[in-house]
Amino acid sequence: MTSAEPESLAQRLEALVGTPVGPAGPSVGPDPVNQPMIRHWAAAFEDANPAYTDPAWAEASSFGEIVAPPLMLQTWVLPTPIITGIAERGGSPVEIEGSGPLGVLDDAGFVGTLASNSEFEFERYLHLGEVLSATTIIESISPEKRTRIGPGHFITWVTTWRDEAGEVVGRQMFRILKFRPELAGP
Amino acid sequence: MTLTIRDLAEGDALTPMVIAVTATVIVAGAVATRDFMPVHHDKAYAESQGAPDIFMNILSSNAYCSRFLTDWAGPEAVVRRVAIRLGVPVFPNSTLTFTGTVSSIDVATATVEITLQASTPMGDHLTGTASLCLPRGGASG
Repeated sequence: MTSAEPESLAQRLEALVGTPVGPAGPSVGPDPVNQPMIRHWAAAFEDANPAYTDPAWAEASSFGEIVAPPLMLQTWVLPTPIITGIAERGGSPVEIEGSGPLGVLDDAGFVGTLASNSEFEFERYLHLGEVLSATTIIESISPEKRTRIGPGHFITWVTTWRDEAGEVVGRQMFRILKFRPELAGP
Repeated sequence: MTLTIRDLAEGDALTPMVIAVTATVIVAGAVATRDFMPVHHDKAYAESQGAPDIFMNILSSNAYCSRFLTDWAGPEAVVRRVAIRLGVPVFPNSTLTFTGTVSSIDVATATVEITLQASTPMGDHLTGTASLCLPRGGASG
């Protein structure tokens, strides 16, 4: 066994595929799906859909009760942020253990990050009182590609949200480009 | 009122939605989605990261997509899928204009496919597709 030979970047990236992003177990939402956060969201986006905030309308509708805006799915399971030091952590709401795929690419000079794609699928709408959990797995890391902003790797991860019974309620595929910024030519 | 699957034809345009984007709009959206990344509320931090100003977070972009879809289709429309490709960022004192078209209709499943885009004066912020389930409508109810 020639253990002295360092792992190549490609080998290190390959080893990350299929591994979780963040904690090993599922992240659990700090609060159940609730009316105050829905009302806050609806106000911020000036979304007047009565299914989200009008109990009488919702009861008489095909929903039968208040439902959460489907695109709030991600919000329910975000950690409660530690505001102190958030800028120093590069915007991460909480301390992150280990460097993960972003750290491996940062160390290799691919320090730029650009969000590329988001694809949400919803199995069903959520009701008040439900507690969600989420797991995020790295689905793929592309070989180095040349892009107009510099060479980089596309990282794709998939987050799956489940209800208390373990049933999947929604998924998101999210893809970012980690790139090595190139100075503009003359 | 919510549109029914029988009300639609391929090629129908969705009702456009124009968001007058200010710093307040961007910060309100970031906080309501519980995204405290400083690039979405702290101009000095955003500048230190090479951006000219704070910019809209992706959770807000997605939130406006769902509002655009259900403002047009009505409150009983069910959003099944929103798939977007991200383009130029959205900075304060800009406009974000959503437009879309019905690309296909499946009466059997009462599902409609939409193509959509949200543009700024600097270019497309996002382009994508979405699926909605609508009431079936018709005489047989």
